Amino acid sequence: MADSAAGARIDSALIARVLAGNDSRAFEQLVRRHQGMVRAQLRRLLHGDEAAADDLAQETFLLAWRKLDQFRGEARFSTWIYRIAYACFLQAYRRKSWNPREAGESEIEQLPAPGDSMDLRLDLARAMQRLSQAEQTVLLHCVQLGLSHEETAYVLDMPLGTVKSHATRGKQKLKTWLTAWQEVDGKRQTL
Amino acid sequence: MSAPREDDIDALLRRSLDAIPDAGFSDRLMQRLPPRRRASAWPLAIGLALGALTCCISLFATALWRTGWYDWLHGKLSACAVVMLLAMMGMSLLALGWTLAEAEDH
Repeated sequence: MADSAAGARIDSALIARVLAGNDSRAFEQLVRRHQGMVRAQLRRLLHGDEAAADDLAQETFLLAWRKLDQFRGEARFSTWIYRIAYACFLQAYRRKSWNPREAGESEIEQLPAPGDSMDLRLDLARAMQRLSQAEQTVLLHCVQLGLSHEETAYVLDMPLGTVKSHATRGKQKLKTWLTAWQEVDGKRQTL
Repeated sequence: MSAPREDDIDALLRRSLDAIPDAGFSDRLMQRLPPRRRASAWPLAIGLALGALTCCISLFATALWRTGWYDWLHGKLSACAVVMLLAMMGMSLLALGWTLAEAEDH
C-alpha cells in the first residue's frame, strides 16, 4: 500500500513536470515505469500477440502524451493508462474483428483431468482460457494487475456490480477446476 | 480433498502475469513522440468577446431593452423591466453554474 502511494506521488510529480515544461524526459520516465504492465495487459487481452500488443502499447502512450492535460488525478496514473490501453484494444478489436473464443459453462467438463506431468501454471493458463471473455478480462484487471473492483469498473467502463459478479464467478470456476490439481498434488505428496 | 482457497487463486494468478522487460520499447516510443501542443486560450477569448458583442448589439437594438432599462432606473417595475431583470438573472445563474463546474473539475 505504501509502495503504491509512493508510486502515485512519483507519477504525480512527473506529470506536473510534463505539464509545466513540456518535459519529454519526465514523460519518458512515466513510460519506463508503466510500459511493462501495460504491455502485459495488452498481450493478455490479445491472447499473446506480441507485435499487435506492442503497437497498441505505443498508441496508448502516444495518446496519453497528447491527452495528459486531461488527467485530473481522480484515479492513479496507472489506472488511467490501463483505461486508455483498454480503449485502444477495443478499437483495434472492432477494426480487425478479432474473435477470441468464448467458453461456456458446459465446457467445464471438457477440461482434461490434470496429470502428474502437468505444471500448475500451465493448468492455470488453460483454466483461464476456459473462462468467458468477460471473466478473463475482469480477473486480468482486478487480480493480475492488482486493481480494486472500483478501478476495474473504471478501466473497463463496466458497472461495479457486474465486475464483482464476473470476478466471483471466474474465481469460483478456477477453484473448481484446480481442485483436481490439488487432489493429484496431495496424493503425490503422500506417496 | 481440499479446495484451493481464494487467496491461493489470487496469488497464482498474480504470479502468472509478469511485467514485460523494456527491451528498447521506451526508446522507440520516445523517438516517435510528437511535440506537445499547448492548449491556447485565444479561441475561447475571441468566442466569448464575439458572443458578448452580438448579444449587446441585438439587445440594445430592441425597444424592450431601452424601455426596461429606463423604467427600472425610474423605479417602475414594468413588464419590460421584469423581463430585462429576469434575463440578467438567468445569465448570471448560468455563469455561476459554469464557474462552479469548472472549479470542481480543477
